[in-house]
Amino acid sequence: MRKLLLAVLLIFAMTLSVVASPAAISPALFEEIGTHGGELVLGLASTPRSFNFYGIIDNAAYTILYNIIEPLVEENPATGEIIPGLAESWEVDESGTEVTFHLRDVAWSDGTPFTADDVVFTMEHVVMNTHAEGNSADRFTLGGQPVLWQKIDAHTVKAILPSPYGAFTRVLTHALMVPKHKYEPFIAALNEGVEPGTINQAWTTDTPLSDIVGTGPFVLSEYVVDQKVTLKRNPNYWKVDPEGNRLPYLDQLVYLVVQDDQVMLAQFRSGEIHRITITGQNFPGLKREELDGSSFRVLTGSPVSPTPSPPHLAFNWDIEDEELREIFRNDKFRQAMEHTVDRHRIIEDVYNTLAIIPGVPVLPANTAFYNPAIEDIMREYDLEKAKRLLDEVGIKDRGDGVRVLPSGRPFELTLTTAVNVQPHNDIAVILENEWEELGITTHLQLISSTLVGQRRTAGEYEAIIEAFGNQPDPQLRKAIWQPGRALYYWHRSTMDENQEPILANMEDWELRVFDLFELGEVEMDPVQRKAYYDEWQEIYAERVPVIYIAKGMELQAVSNAIGNIFLQENGQIVGTNYTAFVK
Amino acid sequence: MFRYIVRRLVTMVPMMVVISILCFTVIKLQPGDFTTQFLTDPRITPEQVAQIRERLGLDQPPAIQYLTWVKGILTRGDFGYSFAYKRPVQELIWERMGWTVAVAGATIIFSWAVAIPIGIYSATHKYSFVDYLLTFIGFIGVSIPSFFLALVLMYLSLSLGGTAVGGLFSQQYIGAPWSWGRLLDLLRHLWIPIIAIGLSGTAGLIRLMRGSLLDVLGTQYITTAKGKGLSQRVVIYKHAVRNAINPLISVFGMQLPELISGTIIASIVLNLPTMGPFFYDALINSDQYLVMTFLMLSAFLMLIGNLLADILLALTDPRIRYE
Repeated sequence: MRKLLLAVLLIFAMTLSVVASPAAISPALFEEIGTHGGELVLGLASTPRSFNFYGIIDNAAYTILYNIIEPLVEENPATGEIIPGLAESWEVDESGTEVTFHLRDVAWSDGTPFTADDVVFTMEHVVMNTHAEGNSADRFTLGGQPVLWQKIDAHTVKAILPSPYGAFTRVLTHALMVPKHKYEPFIAALNEGVEPGTINQAWTTDTPLSDIVGTGPFVLSEYVVDQKVTLKRNPNYWKVDPEGNRLPYLDQLVYLVVQDDQVMLAQFRSGEIHRITITGQNFPGLKREELDGSSFRVLTGSPVSPTPSPPHLAFNWDIEDEELREIFRNDKFRQAMEHTVDRHRIIEDVYNTLAIIPGVPVLPANTAFYNPAIEDIMREYDLEKAKRLLDEVGIKDRGDGVRVLPSGRPFELTLTTAVNVQPHNDIAVILENEWEELGITTHLQLISSTLVGQRRTAGEYEAIIEAFGNQPDPQLRKAIWQPGRALYYWHRSTMDENQEPILANMEDWELRVFDLFELGEVEMDPVQRKAYYDEWQEIYAERVPVIYIAKGMELQAVSNAIGNIFLQENGQIVGTNYTAFVK
Repeated sequence: MFRYIVRRLVTMVPMMVVISILCFTVIKLQPGDFTTQFLTDPRITPEQVAQIRERLGLDQPPAIQYLTWVKGILTRGDFGYSFAYKRPVQELIWERMGWTVAVAGATIIFSWAVAIPIGIYSATHKYSFVDYLLTFIGFIGVSIPSFFLALVLMYLSLSLGGTAVGGLFSQQYIGAPWSWGRLLDLLRHLWIPIIAIGLSGTAGLIRLMRGSLLDVLGTQYITTAKGKGLSQRVVIYKHAVRNAINPLISVFGMQLPELISGTIIASIVLNLPTMGPFFYDALINSDQYLVMTFLMLSAFLMLIGNLLADILLALTDPRIRYE
């Protein structure tokens, strides 16, 4: 932390010595210095249902709003490091529980100054408002205690943490600041006669666009229902390129609403849309067109972002059937099943080779947390080993190729997964073949993803293929991977009906994982935090509570007319809307 | 006649009540509700989900939810609130009405304008080569799903160097003020949805028109008309077609709800800013009041359409009397 702090202070000092604001940004985001003007047209898979970042769970709305409003601290899109955003700098006190932020001197796009009041308001009444459907109160609550926010002066804010919190700045990167002067009328705590749920009705799609103000690179200029969202540049945006030119370069950023991905692809091919995310299926065709001299380039980036969510295989430890329950809880059984997962074949057949062996589940590209030791622990595809392990568990071949449980009943498995997620479907079919080969009768239950979610929550499945997105900091996924939490669904009996963990129902190693997450949460020293999460990854790799299968690469196609969207040396795709330009 | 219309209008009320109860029951039979999506989001705790359900009234028994909704309509003209958009549903539906009616209207006009002349030609040139050809095209039109036809047309357009793929306008004309350029751009885009969505209806109408006209042409009064020396034109257009058109008028009434519901999948594939994809999303999200209002509107248009068809029949066919 000290080192990081020093670096941050250094950057702070450097920015101070040049100009107070605007501020130059990481040169890693630039392939070349751009020129002003032009527009970038992007596709949006659904229409935004609201412009309220905190009132809704809607990726279309998030995509648009990330151009308009900004967090106190940002994640460098090229390196993943935490860098200054609306806070020019920050210090952590000795105890690790008080963080003081020094705010940048900027204004909202309507001219109102951005101040400490906006920060305290956003955090207290919006981000941590549990009545807001898109709130993040959980991420700012430690041991049941909320983080407190204090205004020191117009440009200084202090956060008082109930205990040290290692991922604090990381979670802050997702807390985008909203203007108090626009949001205040929707807050029940500050207005009499306003219902608590009213916060969700701020900035709906019928709000006059001039009321939707931000500090970000773009502001909304037009919204045509179900067709298009246009943003124009914020002329006073504070970021500048390494040569001191104001960002963004683009005059306009246009999002076209295109629900069908085939149509989106067709529009990209016809030049209407400039940049799209593609799937492994479309890759070969587009790559061929690129090599034949088309006007676009295809980028194959190593996976860093949450999506595509990496699928995993899980078994229901709390299933009614006692014999199956005991087997699913047996480490050896799950290890045997890991031997039946042919990750290389899946990567080749399902993903057209455009996927990697995932971590457990920290991605190899995430150097801050990835533990390479797991590579030696994860089990290779080997049906012979799988057979031996099954024999040891007592699931033996009765002589005619059918494996039976210790009670003598034939071993049958129902594998549940989403019919509308193509990779999950294909993986299920491959697993079915492997399991049949072992003598396990397998039934596929291919149902809609919504139903899969419900079966999972209700514990109505035997084996299941599901997926959760990755996050750079394991703390952000503790609701999934820490035993006793809401989404630790394969072993739900580690949690009581009040969502509190039941330590008595955990295996020894689950207890250790539970402790590791608790320790990692309050540790401020990055080296020690990594040590905790390293141990967690090793335990997961060894005990395989769930079997991670593959992680798709990030595939994009970009028009050659657009600059500064490129593959950097480490293989990751870099390209933001505020550094992109028209060549 | 007037009394008949009033009676029909009055009987619509209990009908709408029954339809609304049926619709609401079907929506409630769907597993899960709007808040189900929150359960997979690690940022939202299950307590918060319970809180949201309470605020949206989803914790109440379905009968209470239904009655509250009906009460809102009767006392305030309020059709409820969209959970997904956080806005009153009638506003949301109204925002999308313009393009929906325009596209569907153009499609219906297209299919009638094409189908009736072809149907008449086919019937009067029975078993000729052209009749067989048109009948064959008609069968293709009926059997090809419209979304597939849409994909094929878009592919053809794209591979012939066209850029008008999906939507109603090129990007720069979306939301722009009307101009000749914009109108031209609309026409360049509109032909694909009109053909893709309209073709199956057209084909059906051709078959109906042909069959119905053939029936009439075989009747004795047509023979009489011919026998007394009327010209072929007068026999067909004045006597035969006027009588053969009756079944088509009934069909016309049925088409009214299509103005808003149309073909959902084709609209998604064609990326049309119409009600179809919007309704589909609402269904997927269990945005129940939005779905209900939409279904009620559709049912209402169906009832009105039927009434209109009956009135039109009475006007065109002097044999029909409602008293």
